[in-house]
Amino acid sequence: MLKLSKESMLGLILIALFLLMAAIAPGFLDSYNLSNMMFQLPELGILTLGMMVVIITAGIDLSITFTAAFAGVLAAWSMSHHYPVAVAILIGIGAALLCGLLNGFFIAIIGVSPILVTLGSMVLFEGVILTITKGNAISGFPESFSEIGNMSVGPIPLPIIIFLALAGLTGLLLNRTIWGRSVYKVGINPVAAQFSGLSVKKVLLGVYLFSAFMASIAAIIMISRYNSAKVDLGSSYLLLTVSAAVLGGTEISGGYGKVLGTVYAVAIFQVLSNGLNLLGIPRTVVDILMGVILIAVLTLNFFSAKMNHNKSLKVSPR
Amino acid sequence: MKKFSGILVSVVIVFALILSACGSKKNDGASSSSPSASSKAPASQAASGKKLKIAIVPKLIGIPYFNASETGAKKAGDDLGVEVIYTGPTQADAAQQVKVIEDLISQKVDVIAVAPNDPASLTPVLKRAKEQGIKIMDWDTQADPSVVELSVQQIDNEVFGRTITDKLVEKMGTDSGEYAIVTGGLSAANLNTWIDWAQKQAKEKYPNLKLVTDKIASDEKQQVAYQKTLDLLKAYPNLKGIMGFSTVAPLGAAQAVKEKGLQDKVAVVGTALPTDSKPFLDDGSLDSALLWDPGALGYLTVALAKDLAEGKMPTDGQEVANVGKITVKPDNKTVIMGPPTEFTKENAGNYKF
Repeated sequence: MLKLSKESMLGLILIALFLLMAAIAPGFLDSYNLSNMMFQLPELGILTLGMMVVIITAGIDLSITFTAAFAGVLAAWSMSHHYPVAVAILIGIGAALLCGLLNGFFIAIIGVSPILVTLGSMVLFEGVILTITKGNAISGFPESFSEIGNMSVGPIPLPIIIFLALAGLTGLLLNRTIWGRSVYKVGINPVAAQFSGLSVKKVLLGVYLFSAFMASIAAIIMISRYNSAKVDLGSSYLLLTVSAAVLGGTEISGGYGKVLGTVYAVAIFQVLSNGLNLLGIPRTVVDILMGVILIAVLTLNFFSAKMNHNKSLKVSPR
Repeated sequence: MKKFSGILVSVVIVFALILSACGSKKNDGASSSSPSASSKAPASQAASGKKLKIAIVPKLIGIPYFNASETGAKKAGDDLGVEVIYTGPTQADAAQQVKVIEDLISQKVDVIAVAPNDPASLTPVLKRAKEQGIKIMDWDTQADPSVVELSVQQIDNEVFGRTITDKLVEKMGTDSGEYAIVTGGLSAANLNTWIDWAQKQAKEKYPNLKLVTDKIASDEKQQVAYQKTLDLLKAYPNLKGIMGFSTVAPLGAAQAVKEKGLQDKVAVVGTALPTDSKPFLDDGSLDSALLWDPGALGYLTVALAKDLAEGKMPTDGQEVANVGKITVKPDNKTVIMGPPTEFTKENAGNYKF
C-alpha cells in the first residue's frame, strides 16, 4: 500500500480543492483573483509559522497578534514622526523582540505555563497599545513603505516572496541547526531533553523570540498593505494561526510539526475562504464550514494515528 | 490507512462544498443562472440590461444594528431589481474588512458601499477597486473622502444634537431648569460632536437651561451610567432633565431615575436603540429615544448605489421611495438621510434592532 505522509496528503487535498474551486467558483482563475490570493495569504502564513514553532514545544503564543499590533503601531508611529523607513522597521522588529523576550522570560526562566503567560501578555500589550494610540489608527506612511506590501515582482507579489523565504528559513532552522533539533526534543519530553544536556531555557526563549520576530514581519506587511495601524491589527488571525498550524499536522501536545504542512494548511484556508466568498456563500457560513472541516481532519488524524498504533502493537509480539 | 483517511477527508470536503454550492444557488434564485457568464463579462456590460451587483459592506455582521440595515438593503434589492451582496467581517478587524473588499473586487461587483472600521486602512484597497472600474461609496461612517464618489450619512450631526436639546425641553415641559449630560466616553468623536451641538442649541435658544456639571463619562457601560446618575440625582436634587449619549447611557440614566421613583420629575432623553429602551419607555423612566433607522439607511444606500452605477447623482431634496426626502451637502457627494427617528412607548415595538 502506498504510504503517504501527512504533508503530502495535505498537498493532495490542496490541489483537489484548487481544481474544485477553479471548476465551480466564477472568476477563481482570474489573474486578478490569483494575485489577490497571493497578497492575502502571507499575513496569516507568517504568523502561523511563528505559532507552529511555539506549538512544537507544546506551548502556545496567544499574544502573537497583539505582538504584531504592537510592532505595527510602533513602526507606524515612527514613520508618522518622520523617521526613515528602515529605522521604523527596525523599531517595529525590536519592539516585537522585546515582547517575545518578556514571554520567553516568564515561560522559560520562571517556568509559568505558556497559555497563562501569553494570555496575560496579550491583555498587557493591548493595554499598552491603547495607551499609546488611545484607540485611534495611525496612518499616512511614505510611498516607499507602501511598496513593501503592494509591490509585485513580475506577476508574483512581494509579500508571498517574503513568506516563502521565511518558510524556507524556518525549515532550515528547524532541520539543520542544533537549536531547531532541540525544539523538537523539548517538545517531545522537556525533562529528557534537560537530562541529555540541552539548555531547555535557551531553547524556549529562542522559540518565543522567533514567534515575536515572525509577528513583527507580518505586522510590517500588514501596515504597509493597509496603510494604517491600530490596536486590533490582525486580531482576527489569532485562532486561525492555531487552527492552521494544527491542520498542517503540528501536534498540539508538541514534538511534531513541519513547515511544508503548515504552508499547505495556510494555502488550503486561503483557497477555501476565497473560493467560498466567490461562490457568494455568507461569511458566517464560511466560518461554520471552516470549523467543520478542521474538526473532521483532526478527528481523522486522531483515528489514523490510533490505528497505526494498534497495528504496531499487534505486530510487535512476533 | 493514511490513504483511506485522506480519501475520506477529500470526500468530506467535496461534499461540504457541493452542499454549500447548492445552498447558495437556492438563495440567489434567478440571478444564479449565469454565474459563469458574469465572470467573463466586463463590468461595463452591467449597464446594458444585466442585473447590477451592489455590494454593501458593514463594519461587522451579526449584530442587531447591521442586521437591520441588511434587511433594508435586501428589500431595496428586491424592489429595485438589483443583486445585493451584503457581506462583512465577522470581527471588527480592519484586516478582515480589507479581505472582504478584495474578494468583492474578484467577484466583479458594480458598486461597493462600505462602512469602514478604520477609514485609512481601506484607502489602498478602495483605490484598487476603483482601478477595476468599480464605483465606491461609503455609508454609516465616512471613508477617505478622496476615494469615494458618494457618501451616505444617517443624520446631520448638527440637526441631531439640536433636536436632542429640543426634545429634552419638550419632555421637561419647561425651558428653564437644571440638566446634566451623561455620555459614553469622553474621547468618542461622534458623541462629542453631538454634545457640542446640543449645548450650542441650549445656549442659543434656551438661555434659562443650566448645565449643572461637565459631561459625565459612563465608559459605554449601562451599569456605570446608572451609578453616575444616582450620584447626580443625589448631588443635584433640583435636576429636571438628563441627556444620555451613546446607546447605553440613556438606559442607565433611566434605570436610576426609575429606582428613585422620579419618572415624573426628571426627564430623560438620549440616543438609544428601540428594543433595548422599550422597557424604560414603557414605564416612563425614559421619555424619548432618538436615533435613526438602520433599515432605512441600508435601503437608501442600495437605492443611491443603483443610481450611481447608472450615472445618476442624487439631488438635494430628492424623494427616495420608502426613505423620504434626502439632503445633499454643498460638496455634492455627501447625502444626509434625514431627521432622526424618535422611538416612543408607542412605536418602539415595531423595530427589530
